[in-house]
Amino acid sequence: MTSYVLRRAAGAVLVLFVLSVVVYAVFYAVPGDPAKLACGPRCNPAQIAQVRDQLQLDDPLYTRYWHFLQGLFAGHDYSTGTGVLHCNAPCFGLSYQNDQQVTELISQRLPVTASLGFGAMVLWLVLGIGTGLLSALRRGGTTERVLTWFTLAGTATPVFIIGLLLLMVFCAQLQWLPFPSYVPLTESPEQWAWNMLLPWIALALIEAAKYARLTRSSVLETLADDHIRTFRAYGVSERAIVGRHALRGALPPVIALSALDLGSIFGSAMLTETLFGLPGLGQLMVHAVRDIDLPVVVGVVLVTGAAVVIANIIADLLYAATDRRVTLT
Amino acid sequence: MRQLPLISRRVAAAAVSVVLLGGVAACGPEDSDSSGSKGGSGDAPREGGTLTVLNSQPQSDFDPARLYTSGGGNVPGLVFRTLTTRNRENGPAGAKVVPDLATDIGKPSKNATVWTYTLKDDLKYEDGSKITTADIKYGIERSFAAELSGGAPYLRDWLVGGDSYEGPYKEKKGLDSIETPDEKTIVFHLRKPEGDFPYLATGTQFAPVPKAKDTGTGYEKHPISSGPYKVVKNSGDGERLLLERNAHWSDKTDAERHAYPDTVDVRSGLDSAVINQRLSTGTGPDAAAVTTDTNLGPAELAQVSGDKKLADRVGTGHFGYVNYLAFNPKVKPFDNPKVRQAISYAINRTSVVNAAGGSSLAEPATTFLPERKYFGYTPYDHFPAGKTGNPDKARELLKKAGYQDGLKITLTHSTARNFETSPEVATALQEGLKKAGITVRLQGLEDNDYSEKTKSVQQAPGLFLSHWGADWPAGGPFLAPIFDGRQIVKDGSNYNAAQLNDKAVNDEIDAINKLTDLDAAAKRWGALDKKIGEQALTVPLFHPVYKRLYGADVKNVVISDWTGVLDVSQVAVR
Amino acid sequence: MSTEVLAAAQAGVPAPASGARQVWWRLRARRAAAVAGAGLGLLLLLALAAPLLSVLIGQDPNAYHDDLIDSARGGVPTGSYGGISGEHWLGVEPGTGRDLFIRLVYGARVSLLVAIGATVLQVLIGVSIGIAAGLGNRLLDGLLGHLSDVFIALPTLAFAIALTAVVPGDFPRPLLLILVIALLGWGGTARIVRAQTLSLKKLDFVAAARLGGSGPFRVARRELLPSLAAPVITYVAILLPTNIVAEAGLSFLGVGIRPPTASWGQMLSSATTWFRADPAYVLLPAGLLFLTVLAFTVLGDALRTALDPREASRLGVGRERTRRTRRTRTSRKGDPA
Repeated sequence: MTSYVLRRAAGAVLVLFVLSVVVYAVFYAVPGDPAKLACGPRCNPAQIAQVRDQLQLDDPLYTRYWHFLQGLFAGHDYSTGTGVLHCNAPCFGLSYQNDQQVTELISQRLPVTASLGFGAMVLWLVLGIGTGLLSALRRGGTTERVLTWFTLAGTATPVFIIGLLLLMVFCAQLQWLPFPSYVPLTESPEQWAWNMLLPWIALALIEAAKYARLTRSSVLETLADDHIRTFRAYGVSERAIVGRHALRGALPPVIALSALDLGSIFGSAMLTETLFGLPGLGQLMVHAVRDIDLPVVVGVVLVTGAAVVIANIIADLLYAATDRRVTLT
Repeated sequence: MRQLPLISRRVAAAAVSVVLLGGVAACGPEDSDSSGSKGGSGDAPREGGTLTVLNSQPQSDFDPARLYTSGGGNVPGLVFRTLTTRNRENGPAGAKVVPDLATDIGKPSKNATVWTYTLKDDLKYEDGSKITTADIKYGIERSFAAELSGGAPYLRDWLVGGDSYEGPYKEKKGLDSIETPDEKTIVFHLRKPEGDFPYLATGTQFAPVPKAKDTGTGYEKHPISSGPYKVVKNSGDGERLLLERNAHWSDKTDAERHAYPDTVDVRSGLDSAVINQRLSTGTGPDAAAVTTDTNLGPAELAQVSGDKKLADRVGTGHFGYVNYLAFNPKVKPFDNPKVRQAISYAINRTSVVNAAGGSSLAEPATTFLPERKYFGYTPYDHFPAGKTGNPDKARELLKKAGYQDGLKITLTHSTARNFETSPEVATALQEGLKKAGITVRLQGLEDNDYSEKTKSVQQAPGLFLSHWGADWPAGGPFLAPIFDGRQIVKDGSNYNAAQLNDKAVNDEIDAINKLTDLDAAAKRWGALDKKIGEQALTVPLFHPVYKRLYGADVKNVVISDWTGVLDVSQVAVR
Repeated sequence: MSTEVLAAAQAGVPAPASGARQVWWRLRARRAAAVAGAGLGLLLLLALAAPLLSVLIGQDPNAYHDDLIDSARGGVPTGSYGGISGEHWLGVEPGTGRDLFIRLVYGARVSLLVAIGATVLQVLIGVSIGIAAGLGNRLLDGLLGHLSDVFIALPTLAFAIALTAVVPGDFPRPLLLILVIALLGWGGTARIVRAQTLSLKKLDFVAAARLGGSGPFRVARRELLPSLAAPVITYVAILLPTNIVAEAGLSFLGVGIRPPTASWGQMLSSATTWFRADPAYVLLPAGLLFLTVLAFTVLGDALRTALDPREASRLGVGRERTRRTRRTRTSRKGDPA
């Protein structure tokens, strides 16, 4: 078990390392001069050269990458004119756009994306497990048919379409929900939830279908087991059987899949945050990519990449812990 | 150059316009001069309350050295006072330069190369200490440091020794061309006559910075206030700013700023759609909210104009700005004046204006200078295209130029969604030119790539969408960077796309710069614009109009032509 | 490292449905598939015939109609429901007055071209890498495994944006989109093919061929490819709608097809601002995209059941299956939406 975790962790570090190299190589090739961008309009060549020097843009690719690794593990010092700015490890460097520390930028945006992800997860679990159970209990009827189409619709709809439709209906027509504007949880929990509701629903509607399907099949599988038959024979109520036994069997894969989906929520977060104008990591990424803000891009890619990789490991561990039929190799 | 206010300095150079919803917009002719009715409800503005500012761009640069525009834009103007400032009045009256820290807008020497300013009495920082001219000198010197780049290029170009000075961190000695004979007097020595110096002195580089408090790049965290508000909170790199009254500021020394609200709460990093949505709903603190950087986009305007109550809360502003087609005559076939003229004749400005957001957000333009007296506006239409273009005249000219079988050209534009240099405008042009037998291939570049290529002497494409805004409301900064042959930048950002180096034009620019009578100068800038227009080096397309929502509780709305946007220093929320 | 979890999670067990009901459901599934197939056929036909159609109905996709929009109100179409008229069946585009029907039809060309192109390329790359990993030694397998792990941790959309920025502006956009989507999305196919190859390798006929001295290429071509056809075709049915969504997503983020060429994603992204002032403009591309992806999904599901009767329909409308089959390395490469 320990060796398994260690091996997975080593693999994860390797994957992240390769990821950072790939990001560096790709963004190095993007046309445009970060020094000119950082310097602003009507900078003279001497100033641009100075900025370029300051950002160490003239160094070859491998040197810059080496500096990046150094910063990551040992921190980095930057000149501020009058003094020195110390960027503690893990230091992803300073944004080319506004000299802000990338770690700071990420920690500012992370709560938004996390709010989006966790909230949506709660919603899709409730929705997914609920419909899944329901359809497992009422096999073949209208419920199952509805679920089938719900599932189909979920798979078929990209988040920007469902989000737009939700906006049209709940925000423009009925005016029940506000156009989302992120309010930090610490500032006002009700406002936070109220504003995030539309994006949550948009994401949850898409994901819930998958969970409904999964719950349904797991529950059915458990219900077919011998011990359930024994319970039934002993006269245990159907409700108790489903609630206590079948659901327990259905949860492990659901939890594991949730961990995975949460890790990869970032991909859809770019579209969701763009549509709803939420200042999260996805939006930061879209902006940084366009501004060739390499330190920010690398930072966000590594953080989100790490989330995916770690979620993968956690998912496998969770699954192994709850289901003895799976062995970790 | 100055970009649309939505776009902060550095992001401007980069591509801001990821903004999907809403976005920057320009707008319409009918309500030309009614800009900014003294807004809100009728009763007189009172002190107190909290003004909320909802912005898309964070104030990530809050260092007076790094800000580009007059007063550093809207919010910084609440904290920094400068030697001179813009007149805080509606419409064209707001395009005047007036004294701020100084007693007048500057005393020029006879040939306008030496400018002398005297400070008012009883000027204090937020800590009660005295503001001296040495601090103003130091503030200007800081802006030469590479660490604090970002300000306008004029100081480097104009001050004696400015081209080689590297800032006070590297060169302790300071700039000799700025003299401070005593605490209240400051004298500037320029390399050449510059009648526009009073305009330049509205820049935040002219705000005092106490040397003892200077922390280099860290100064922007808490810049020392000389204005009516001081920074209480600055988090998320300017994403959230909280400003409170500066007890040591007095309206006795400041005729321009009002400072009605007790607190100003700036929240930025918001999507433009979110801002407009919040302003239109206006619940809670949003009722007392304004935005200093987000216009209504076409779709939002369509929505708002259908709602009388909302429409009443829209401020209209005009900012000196032109969107135009730029020719690079070094590239064939644009070396041929007949081809350039043919294209000028073939333009369908109706489609272009619609692409830019319709007649409420853009005014069709045939002159480079905006239609305002202080720019020296002189009407002309050398190649009349009418409302929808004159394809027959264009074909005739093309035939003369040897392109009787039609012409194939490439139009370069950016992919930013700014309704200016964006695909919408390019497509509208393409469709219009088709009628004159001109086949246009569109070349859309990512914004960074676009701004780099179009500003490079070596790589500039033959025909591209461009825009220009003056750094202050005068003809000089509007025309000189675009048409002055000595401002062709070979190895940096070049704005003289036509690479025009015409001795007559250059001489006239020099002659006007010597004038310290700004009205007389304006007239000559207008005449010069008309003269240059004959060469068909650009095709002016439209001048934008700004439409912005403000909250229901907002009073005393003032929109000057200098900025074209609502002035936060005038707003009251009670 | 593996994602057993998912493999297990995705291998659902459907309801043991009774005979009559089962037949009814199958019928139902087939009818849905028939409708979906017909719809897609029609779309394909329209897309192919777009230029002809344009001439027939006299609408040019790029022709401006400045008279059909209200310039003072931001360019909103005059008339109700987005300016629907006898001439403009689905109304006109705000800001330009271009005909929406013909633009949607032209948009279908782009969507289908990019989706089909990217799918073909993904399958080519995925099958080659999957077989190589399955047949190769431990080192190669491990290397390719890590490679696909990297691609799975890769934020696909961000990379797609970056890649579209790296490529010169003159590069044909549809081809660029095909390349970007395919290069970033081959992982799933590779995993499935690898897993299939591994299990096939153990089967007698493949083992026999290998023992008989056939080289890896011969084995791949003669023995593996025919057996891989069914799972790959099944997977293609999942890839196609995913790629349609991917193209729309990229255009939605503003890095897809360039104007004036019409594309659904691009229409959607400019429509986002109009959801209040001109709802028809949003509903049309959104609805069309939704229906297309839905049709592909229904058709794919039916195809899957038809091709491999042992597999239950993903939608739970197929045959009974008693034992859970444990697959390894199933795709986790979700759609980027």
